[in-house]
Amino acid sequence: MPTPAAVTTSCNAAEDGVPTILVVDDEPTARLALAARLKRLGYRVIQAGDGKAGLEALRRERPNLTILDWMMPELDGPSFCEQVRHDPELQTSQILMMTSHDQPEQIAEGLARGADDFLSKAASKYEISARVQAGMRAATLVRRLKDASEEIRQKQEALERELQSAARYVETLLPASGPVVPGVQMVRTYRPSLALGGDLFNIVPWSDDFLGLYLLDASGHGVSAALRSSSFATFLRRDSLLRHVGSNDPGAILTEANKQFPLTENGHYFTIVFASLDLRCHTLSYATAGHSGALLHRRSGAVCWMAQPNLPLGFDSFTTYVTVELPITPGDRLYLFSDGLYEVPDPTGELWGQARLDETIRRFGERPLTEVVAGTVAEAIRWQGHEQFPDDVAVMGLEIAV
Amino acid sequence: MPMHTKERPVPNGVILEMTGDLTYANREQFKTAVETIRQKGCRHLILNMADVRFVDSSGLGMLALVSQNFKLSQGKVSMLRPQSYVREIMSLANIQKLIPVYDNEQDALAEQQRAA
Repeated sequence: MPTPAAVTTSCNAAEDGVPTILVVDDEPTARLALAARLKRLGYRVIQAGDGKAGLEALRRERPNLTILDWMMPELDGPSFCEQVRHDPELQTSQILMMTSHDQPEQIAEGLARGADDFLSKAASKYEISARVQAGMRAATLVRRLKDASEEIRQKQEALERELQSAARYVETLLPASGPVVPGVQMVRTYRPSLALGGDLFNIVPWSDDFLGLYLLDASGHGVSAALRSSSFATFLRRDSLLRHVGSNDPGAILTEANKQFPLTENGHYFTIVFASLDLRCHTLSYATAGHSGALLHRRSGAVCWMAQPNLPLGFDSFTTYVTVELPITPGDRLYLFSDGLYEVPDPTGELWGQARLDETIRRFGERPLTEVVAGTVAEAIRWQGHEQFPDDVAVMGLEIAV
Repeated sequence: MPMHTKERPVPNGVILEMTGDLTYANREQFKTAVETIRQKGCRHLILNMADVRFVDSSGLGMLALVSQNFKLSQGKVSMLRPQSYVREIMSLANIQKLIPVYDNEQDALAEQQRAA
């Protein structure tokens, strides 16, 4: 009679580095004989007298190899294997199944139910030694693979935490929706395609009735785009502009930025719309560099796209960017977008496009600005058929009431 | 869609026949193809864009970079027959200011001779 749940360990568990084999067999004589043989081969041996005790030992000791009898009461060898293969913690265990008659059908069934290899009960000591060594080789490879995957997983987690922390920082560079100065309301939305985005925008009151604002788009995505954008945002700070450009003129600012930010060695660059809003003179002054996403929705209902066909920043160091001026009347709305909003394909590949964006803005008419910004993004999502934009999406809407 | 390129020597230059999309995914391939031609001492690279369906923002950057690199080695880059959508993207970014666009090979080559 087997002693249920009996597990004996032949050596002190402190003997680290010696490969361990678990022998599970309900016949004490056969079990002890095999254990003795394995010990003579230099292995540390654990024994279990039935399947259930074997599973417990496997879970507790994590041996390098398990040698398992097929015929056992209650939990037999194949059922033992099935339980191991369904257990995420144990499923990579190496199992050598013993049978007294090696019929091909039986071997096929055993392999199908989860054994890795077979050992005949009549095997010579050379064969036992060879099969055990083969099992050990496989176990070592599996272990290395598991260690490597675990290391990759941990590194990936660390990287993602870093990215999220950088993304939170980028968010702090963006202005919050709300009143900017009395009479000017801003609503914005920002959806980076990866954790980190290359689009940035800002609006800064330079005085009570004079605002500077921009929306820029770094080509590419991810970490490098975000780093380049935040360095550009630093250049666009008021104190830096006064020092480097010495002027509020959008054209002069972009002409200087074009020299400061050449193409990277991988051909990365910025597009940008930069504007200043003079509330006293009711004038919008702006310049663009390869950036099409900017429009003025007049209170009258007219939509005026502000894009000029011109080079993105860094394409040609001799480019001069020119300021355009537009008169503003109370009730006008200014929208700055990144192209990620309207260059979204539907399932057939057709882009949503500027014409549909234009039509959407007109249709929303004088609905509250928050609704227009949210509704426009919702329309783009409806067009592409899913929530995840392929490129960074930034929108800044401005309502000028004075 | 992947990109395929094939070089074809012409008098005083090389035509790069391009097929597929000039996008972020294909940027290294395009860069390598063009750099190989430049390092062989080519002074006039003609990009045949007739079979390029799409150019994204990364592709535009690659075109600007190629044009700058050729300029540094006293060369120039021209473009042949971009499709209408690609032509529109290029004109929004004013690329033809850096890379002249031609409708046929003879014109591109003739322009090069005048410039020389």
